[in-house]
Amino acid sequence: MSLHATTILFRRRLHMSRLGQMALMVLFWLAGEALTRATHLPVPGGVLGLGLMLALLFSGRLSVASTRRGAQFFLGELLLFFVPAVLAVTDHPELMGWVGIKIAAVILVGTVTVMAVTALVVEFCCRWSMDRVQPRMA
Amino acid sequence: MSSLAWLEAAGLAAFWSAATIGLYVAAKRLNQRLRRWWSSPLVLAPVLLIALLLALHASYRDYIGGTRWLLMLMGPATVAFAVPIYEQRAMIRRFWPVLAMGVAAGSGTSILTAYGLASLLGLNGDLRLSLLPRSLSTPFAMVVSGDIGGVPDLTAVFVICTGVFGAAFGEALLVWLPLRSSLARGALFGMGAHGAGVAKAHQIGAEEGTIAGLVMVMVGLTNVLAAPLLAMALR
Repeated sequence: MSLHATTILFRRRLHMSRLGQMALMVLFWLAGEALTRATHLPVPGGVLGLGLMLALLFSGRLSVASTRRGAQFFLGELLLFFVPAVLAVTDHPELMGWVGIKIAAVILVGTVTVMAVTALVVEFCCRWSMDRVQPRMA
Repeated sequence: MSSLAWLEAAGLAAFWSAATIGLYVAAKRLNQRLRRWWSSPLVLAPVLLIALLLALHASYRDYIGGTRWLLMLMGPATVAFAVPIYEQRAMIRRFWPVLAMGVAAGSGTSILTAYGLASLLGLNGDLRLSLLPRSLSTPFAMVVSGDIGGVPDLTAVFVICTGVFGAAFGEALLVWLPLRSSLARGALFGMGAHGAGVAKAHQIGAEEGTIAGLVMVMVGLTNVLAAPLLAMALR
């Protein structure tokens, strides 16, 4: 079989295989990790991997069909990867009690403020740019 | 390490991984029916795991040693965000200035409120620094936390609390705020509640979900790049 035919066959297989696509994303992540270690960039390896994958998607060397199923799995089960991180509270007994309540208050008030400010800024930017493009009827 | 100790470690890892995945799947199924803040897989699964840890007198080190591989999957999950970003490129090209304004306003508010409120309540030092990056999604937040002198694993916990609170209160905010554009509704969740918020935004609408995912990545990227500057300002 020629090399060209082999690549076509490989691509067709990859379009069908969720596991293959997941492995591809792990490879991109590992490449990103290796790159951050080598260059001492202050960016997580996953982010460099994301950039790498975006570049290949935009250049047309990688088709969305050979990534979509794998991405669906990782994004659909995103919360699973955070579960072990929460258990870190058991390693910090100082968070039990008063300090923990204070922290929860900071997070709660901060989060609600951030959400309100962000949404209002975007909303007013939207209205402003709409008004400029098509002035509202008086 | 003797072969027996190795076998024990492998058994512990298999046990804690299976417990984590099993409780996550169970909580996810339950949450699809109940849709309450406490039935979220990010609340119910950790609470049950902590109970199990206490009941078995197991240590955090045993647990995290066996489940670190699950945390590491956040790496490829970050890579996976390339796909929705690429698929939504037309929308990004059209709306990025508006979204960038939202991200800038939101990030500024996030850092100021965390620093201000923590100081007000007398939380100083490591804790205050660990609270600063909590509006970022976890992989980004842990890097920033380390950069500015916080404790990365504490930051991860704060980030998850932020997501749970944000997803729970975001819907109430939507009722109170006069938001007409789906862009604003999506940005609210992406900026305020990252991973958990994006999941919530997808329930509200496809456009909101896409915007939320996009905003979350924008927030993470700009903040990781800005962290060295923030670190200099804090020293």
